[in-house]
This record gives sequence, structure tokens and C-alpha cells, in this order.
Amino acid sequence: MPGPCQIAVSCRHVACTASGGLGVAMGEAGPEHVTITIDGVSHEVPAGALVIKAAQDRGTYIPRFCWHERMNPVGMCRMCLVEVQGPRGPMLVTACTNNVADGMVVDTRGPTVKKAQEAVLEFLLANHPLDCPVCDKGGECPLQDQAFSHGPGESRFVEIKRNFAKPIPISDLVLLDRERCILCARCTRFSDEISGDPLIEFKSRANVTEVNTFPDLPFSSYFSGNTIQICPVGALTSAQYRFRARPWDLQMVESSGMHDTAHPRLSVQVSQNEVLRLVGVDNDATNHGWLSDKDRFGFQYLTSEERLTMPLVRQDGQLVETTWAEALDRVAERIGLIRDEDGGEVFAVIGGGHGTNEDAYAISKFARVVLETNNVDARLDDALSSHFLAATADRGLIADIDGADTILLWGPDLKEEHPTLYLRVRRAAQELGVRLVVIHPRATGLDDRASMKLTYRPGGGFALLDEVADGKHPELRQALSADRVVAIVGQASFADGPQLAESVAAYVRNKAGSARILPLARRGNIFGALDMGLAPDLLPGRVAPDHAGRAALAESWGEPPAARGKDTRAMLEGIDSGEIRFLLLVGADPVRDVPDPRRALLAMDSAEYVVSIDLFLNDSNREADVVLPAAGFAEKDGTVTNLEGRVQKVNVIAPIPGQGRPDWAILDDLAERAGRPIGLANAESIAKEISEVAPAYTGITWDHLEWEARDGAVVPLSGSQPLSHIPVALKGDNAPTAPLLLHVGRTLYDDGVMLRHSPSLRPLARGAVVHLNPEDAKKAGAQDGHPVRVVTSHGEGEFSAILDEGTPEGVVYVPFNQPGGAPLGTDAVVRVTAVGR
Amino acid sequence: MSHWSEATQERAREIIARYPQKRSAVMPLLYLAMAEEGYLTNEGMEEVARWVDITPAQVQAVATFYTMYKRRPTGRYLVSCCTSISCMLLGGDDVLHAVEDESGVPHGETGADGLLSVEHVECIGACGGAPAVQVNYELIEGVTPDKARDLVRWLDTARPDVVNTDEMQELFGGVRSFDWAIREGEGAKGPYPAFQALGTVGREGET
Repeated sequence: MPGPCQIAVSCRHVACTASGGLGVAMGEAGPEHVTITIDGVSHEVPAGALVIKAAQDRGTYIPRFCWHERMNPVGMCRMCLVEVQGPRGPMLVTACTNNVADGMVVDTRGPTVKKAQEAVLEFLLANHPLDCPVCDKGGECPLQDQAFSHGPGESRFVEIKRNFAKPIPISDLVLLDRERCILCARCTRFSDEISGDPLIEFKSRANVTEVNTFPDLPFSSYFSGNTIQICPVGALTSAQYRFRARPWDLQMVESSGMHDTAHPRLSVQVSQNEVLRLVGVDNDATNHGWLSDKDRFGFQYLTSEERLTMPLVRQDGQLVETTWAEALDRVAERIGLIRDEDGGEVFAVIGGGHGTNEDAYAISKFARVVLETNNVDARLDDALSSHFLAATADRGLIADIDGADTILLWGPDLKEEHPTLYLRVRRAAQELGVRLVVIHPRATGLDDRASMKLTYRPGGGFALLDEVADGKHPELRQALSADRVVAIVGQASFADGPQLAESVAAYVRNKAGSARILPLARRGNIFGALDMGLAPDLLPGRVAPDHAGRAALAESWGEPPAARGKDTRAMLEGIDSGEIRFLLLVGADPVRDVPDPRRALLAMDSAEYVVSIDLFLNDSNREADVVLPAAGFAEKDGTVTNLEGRVQKVNVIAPIPGQGRPDWAILDDLAERAGRPIGLANAESIAKEISEVAPAYTGITWDHLEWEARDGAVVPLSGSQPLSHIPVALKGDNAPTAPLLLHVGRTLYDDGVMLRHSPSLRPLARGAVVHLNPEDAKKAGAQDGHPVRVVTSHGEGEFSAILDEGTPEGVVYVPFNQPGGAPLGTDAVVRVTAVGR
Repeated sequence: MSHWSEATQERAREIIARYPQKRSAVMPLLYLAMAEEGYLTNEGMEEVARWVDITPAQVQAVATFYTMYKRRPTGRYLVSCCTSISCMLLGGDDVLHAVEDESGVPHGETGADGLLSVEHVECIGACGGAPAVQVNYELIEGVTPDKARDLVRWLDTARPDVVNTDEMQELFGGVRSFDWAIREGEGAKGPYPAFQALGTVGREGET
């Protein structure tokens, strides 16, 4: 049996970065400048910059296909040829692989350059089919655009072009047309340099070179959609968007992705009132233009036939459609009755982590003012403490990882749960040479870039932390004693209590020269929701609900309730025991989402009165008394707050189907009918109220975000955050000693409501699988791909076995909330037996 | 879990140990994979990928770039006729046609009996002794169409376990680029290059 932890130290690969390209973006101290001449005009440019980038930043666009600002240069397409005066006279060089030098004279549009550009384009078009009218890229195609702007206008080639079968699917999401490919290697470099899963590569050579996958090994990357976006021709196209629209017919607005707490910036593109695609927008602070496939393709639920369009009330045991007036009056009447009988203690509000800050503020105000309760929580029993998440001392920014000496990642597999952050950490470790330490119960997506990786048995996190503190892992101690350490902490496994992450943060703060903490949580706008007070122990603006905090709110809200509120777990238990009589769910599906669904199922069965505001009927609200249709992503505007506390604007561009309304509007109406108006007129006025009422949000108005802080504003702007939570080191339980321990972790694609209603992503969920170490599988008699029975004290079910070296001996890994997968709860002790056939 | 023989695995370990980075061993390991199975299969490429810790797609990129990695079954003897400029000027095409005609195997293909594969190749560095032919990458220089026919007949009847450049040069060759070159007795035992490190030489230890 393995010991409490196994340590593996691997050497780090530091890919050398070509000077200039990525280095310039780092720019800490002001870089030195040199003087160059571009087309006869003298410019000061940063020393070491690439010619193509320096020229672009000074307003001269040099045409290019292979060069991409966020990737290393290769000089493959030859489109960026410019003429440089050299010691042996003028010569043509590629602007993307040459750095500026003092006194350099560059010509980007003289006759020699023009002739070279025309020749390159003529060659590129020798094989490229002229099928622009039926190509998805047509109208937004760099090859098309540059053929017009820099091409010869005519071709001398009369030969037959290359022929390939087309299009071929290289994954469930991406189609490849090899005839259109100009071999720029943007897609292959992205998958190698950026996402770290090089499953596409060049194949063959010379005239028959193509990009392709290995046979029967599809391009199943979580980031495959980015290759569609950066393909400078129509070679890679989206299966989902194929032939759906022409670019000139699309309306678009900038917004933030809501599947990921980093909030990657993106453009929502709409035709005929329907969201058709999302495209990454380059934002220095967050996503660098990249999107995970979940953020890119996980919007189809918006136009699902299953969307709720009308208020539903229960009548003779059935949910039937009704009017807003009827539905809300019913709820208001019930709220009044219950409040008069038992006061605010019997109300519970769960959810709000998926909406905007304005929605969350409305929920928070509604709960405190109308329901008179602090029983409100946006976390679903799977998160760290609310004060640690919202207001930890030394909270870091995502960008801090770029300049760190050490990144400690002790938490979930970022590739599965926080894909935007995963790309940033991968870049820091791979391109910027930052030392990365990963601690997790099994293999993670970043292991190949970690300079140190520790695994521990589920539930054994505290034991490992003690070992580290006792000096048993000197190399790790040393790494954590560095000057600048960023600790990314979260719950790695359901078996680890929420206190572990905070204890790790406390340890790192003590050890490091200067520590930055990035606590992780799930659900798109969880950090915004907590900032708006959607936790029993928080009020808007990171304020504790103590006497002073309540007094400060009294003027605008009336005195908020003083009683101590319940968190989600206590609320669910309270419903079961009859302490809670009224449950309001806002975009929450506890039955699917809490780690131990038995508790949620019991609560839903015994609840006296349940009201749900949601986009869909789900496993939690199917038995509700009233279900109210809400507005989804891109159907409302507002602000959202990401994991570093960055507030960004999200925007409306599509209509809400049927009679759906934004959460805040529903709650404002309901408050009015319940006789306790909360005075919310529109989203922008709510934002203004937040900026006045919530201390940390002082000064953050929509105007500020739209005109001054285009990359978002990090709260607090000034030192106005009242709460500063010092992470506390706690003692945890001893690790269980059973020979097999259960590790339940989240995966990017699961059976959540939004993905279930997104046809492109639904088939990509892992399904009911269990990962077993081959040795454990042998003991259990389990074979790869065959069914096994997995039993814990909380649940049991049949799963398909995957023999996996990445799962250490003694650990049984089950992905959470998969289609067909039975819930197993949070108990770590597990039995696995092969199912006889 | 390797599908390779223990001896091949041992060689793979030795080769990988020579490089600071595992992935640098991809090319020699591809020859090992060929020697193991006779040609390079998808399974062979996957195996190499596991050994050097890169993806099969990356291995395929290398394997498909170089023509000496044969991804189809190859005959016991691979006859490569040079048709680059020096050989072409001195009758390389006639030599190729003679080989094709005598063996009944068009270039780019393998005979039905699996004995012979014929290919035309670009320059094999024997311009001084053009036209040149290789059998299992063992060089013969100054070949005439008639000698080429003799060579094909000899391979068919003698069926040597090991082909050796010096032996074949004496039987079928003419002008050599470097007649003072050191003789080497090792020879090749299959349609892949003979290297000590790969264990693909015909008679190990001989020189």
C-alpha cells in the first residue's frame, strides 16, 4: 500500500522564447528604446521588439498569416517580407522573425517588397481553392483580405490544384478542409505552445503536406475552438457554426464568458435574434484572446426548445402556465403569510452565482429586506469560506503569476475546472520559466510543465501540509520560501474539507517573501455574488454583517436582519427538519450540484414551498410550487466580478424568449407585491446603487467600465474594502486508512443543465466512468472498458472502468455529475468490484 | 506496457539515455519500430510516442516527413535506384527500368512474393560513381542495366541473409567514387539502415 503521499520530481522543460515576441508583453520596467525608420519615418520602438510588432504598434500594418501576437514566431508563410538595409545592401527579411536594431531602415511598401508580397500570395493561391462564396471564413478571412490588399490580382497558375477529401471532422467540434490550408502552423503551434495537447501536426512533406491528426486519435482538446478562430483561411471551421451565417450579417457585442470564473472576454455574435457563435477577444488581464470550448460552444442552451417561456404555478399537482401577475401574487401572498407566522428565520435563498452582480444585489436585498433573512448562499456546499473567497488578505491578480518565482497550485485540476487560468499558468511555466508546483491527488493537466508534483491520498491533505511544515519536503519548502509566491488554492477533492485550502494559504503567507493568494471557486459569477452579499456572513461590498456593517446599510435598506444566517448545507438540512418553510432557488440545481445529493433530494422532497427562478426545469425545481422564467447570458446587461476581483461589463444582444425577465426585475416586482418595495428600476441604476452602497465597489459604474476601464476594474479601487480576512491555519481530520479511497473531481464537460441543453457539448461528457490504477484494477478483477460496481456509504452505482496510470494506487477517481453516473457522496472509503457478465 | 521484444526495449532505453531530452530519440526509435515489425505501423508510432513522451501525431509528423520510414510492408530487399541528376545523365533511368522489367515490380511497389521492393530515390551521395543503386541501403556504384538485371536475379536465387556493399560492388558494380574507401563487412539484414546502436547490422563485430 502506498504511503500517505508520493513525491515525484521531474525536470522542467523551459522552451526558449524567441527574443521579442512574448517577452515584450511582460515589460516590467520601462524597456529601452531604439530608433528605427519605417517607410522613411523615424520611430522610437522598444529594443528587441519584432519588426512586425514594432511597425504595427506605430501604425504600419505588415501583412501576415503565420505570425500571431500570442505565439512564438516561425516565419513560415513569408507574407511579412520587408526590405531592410543591411551591410551588404538591401535585403528581404521576414518582419516576424527579425528584431529591431538601432538605426534599422525598414521598407514595407516599396517596389521590391510589393513584388515579393505578390509572389508569395500567388504561390499561396496556387493551391487554395477559390470557394470563398461557400466558405465560412469568407468576409472575415485574412487570406481573402490580403489577396485583395496586397495580391497581384491575377494568377499565372493554370495547373490543377491539390485535391483532398473535405471537410473531414478532426474532432466533434472542428472540421478540416486541407485544400484551403496554407500551412502556416498557427493551429499546430497553438495546440503545442498554448494548450499543451499537440494532437494535430503536419503530415507528409512538400506538395502533399497536410495538417492532420493521428488515425483514430481525434483532436479532442478542451481548447480546439481557438484553432478555428486563429486559422487565417477557412481550413478549420466550426461544426456548430457551419453555414449558419455570413460575417457581414452578424451583429456583435463584447461580453465575458460565464462558464469560467476568470471571465474570459469574448464577442457575442448574433443573427436574426439568435446567438450563433462566441469569439475570443484579446484581454491582457484574463484570456489573451483564448476561450475554452465550453466557453466558446456552451451557449446553445440559450435557444433550446426546453427554455422556460412562461411563469408556471402548481395546480392539481401539475405545473401550468399562467400570467406574471398571478404567479407573483401567489408567491407574495405566501411570503406574507409565512413571515407573519414565523419571521425571517424560516426563509432560505440558494443560488445567484450564475447571474450578474446586479441580479445578485437584487437577491441579496430581497432576502434581507423582503424575506428578513440572512439565510442566503450562492455557494452550493462545495466552496471555501466566504470571507476567504471574497476578502482574503494578499489576494492576487491573474497577472501576478507571470512575474512569480513559484506558483503553488494546490486545488482542482485547472484544465478541468478553470480553463482560462490553466492557459495562463501553463504559459507562465512553459514560456516565462516560472517554477510550478502542483499538488493534487492524481495526475492533472499541468503535470508536464510542473517542476515539482506531489500526490496525496484523498482526505490526506492536512497530513501532507504537516509534513511540509515539519520539513519533510525540503525542496518544496524551499520553493515556497521564494520571494514572490502565488498560491492558487481550492478544493482538490470532495474528500478534502474546505479548510485545507485556507490552511495552505496561511502556510504560504508565512513562508514566502511576498505571497499572493488566488482562492478558487466554481460557478460563473460566484465572486460577484459573494461581493453582493450572497452568503450568510457577508453584506454587499465585502462587509461583515456585524453591527457596524448593518448600520451602514440601514439608511438605504432599512436595518438588515441581525440573526446569524445559514449556509447551503444548513439550509438543506433545515428544510428537511422543518426549520425552513420557504425556499427560493435562483439559477440553482442543488440536486445536481451539491457534493452529497442525498441531502438535496431529501430537502426537495420535504420542502413546504419552493419558488424557482431559472432558465429550465431541472431536477431540483421539477416539484417546485412556482417556477419563473429568467433571462440568460447575452439576454441582459450588467457587471460581473471574476476570481481576482475584476469587474467587467456584460452586455445584452439577444431577446429573452417568451416572457422571461431578468432576476432583478422579477424580484423587484415580487417585493412590490409583497408590500416591501426594494426600488430597483433598471440594471444600470442598480449598478449605481451598488457603487454607493457597497464599499468595495465605490466608483465602479457602467460609465467607468465602458469608457475608462476597458479591461475591467479590479475592486477595490482604493483602500475601501472594509473586510480583510487573514487566512487561518486549521487542523484537519486524519487521513482515512482504508486501502481504497474515493476521489471525486469535476470535469469540464458534465451533466449540468447548461451543457445538457447544448447539443455540441452534451456528447462530450465523460459518462459514468471510474479511473482505476492498473494494480487496483487487477485486485478488483476489473478490465479496461468493462463495468464495475462502486460502493460508498453514501451511494453506489455501476461505472465503466478506465485503467489509468495517472491515478495512484489506492485512489479511485470518479468524475462528478456525469450522465448515467450515480452520485457517490463525499465519503472517502470506497469498494470496487468487477461486474460479472 | 511495451509490445516490443526485451532486446528492442533495452536498445530503446540505451538510445534515449544518450539525449538530454527524450524526444530527441524519436528518429532512431522509429527505425527500431521498423526493425521490430518490418515496417512502420500505427502501433509502432504509438509505441515510439509512449517511449519519448510526445503525442502520436507528433511522431507521425516526423515519420511521414522522411521517405526512409516505410509505412507499408516492404520486401525483404529494398532496391533503390538513384534518378537524380548525375545518375540520370549516366543512365540511371535505364537502370531503374531494367530493375523494374527484370523483377516485374514497378517502382514504388513490392512484389507479390514479398521479396523485392523497388523505388527510385533522390541523390544518395554517390555522384562520383553514378549511376548508383542501393539494396537495403547498401551502396553499389557504376551499375549498368545488364548488371542491374544480374543483381535482381542474384537476389532472387541467392537470397542472402545479409547484403553487403563491398560484396555487391564486386559482383554488380563498376566505377566507384572512392576505391580507396575502407571496406566494411557488416552489411544490412533488412530493409532499414544498418546501425550498431539499432542492432540492425548484418554481422555485428565484423569490419
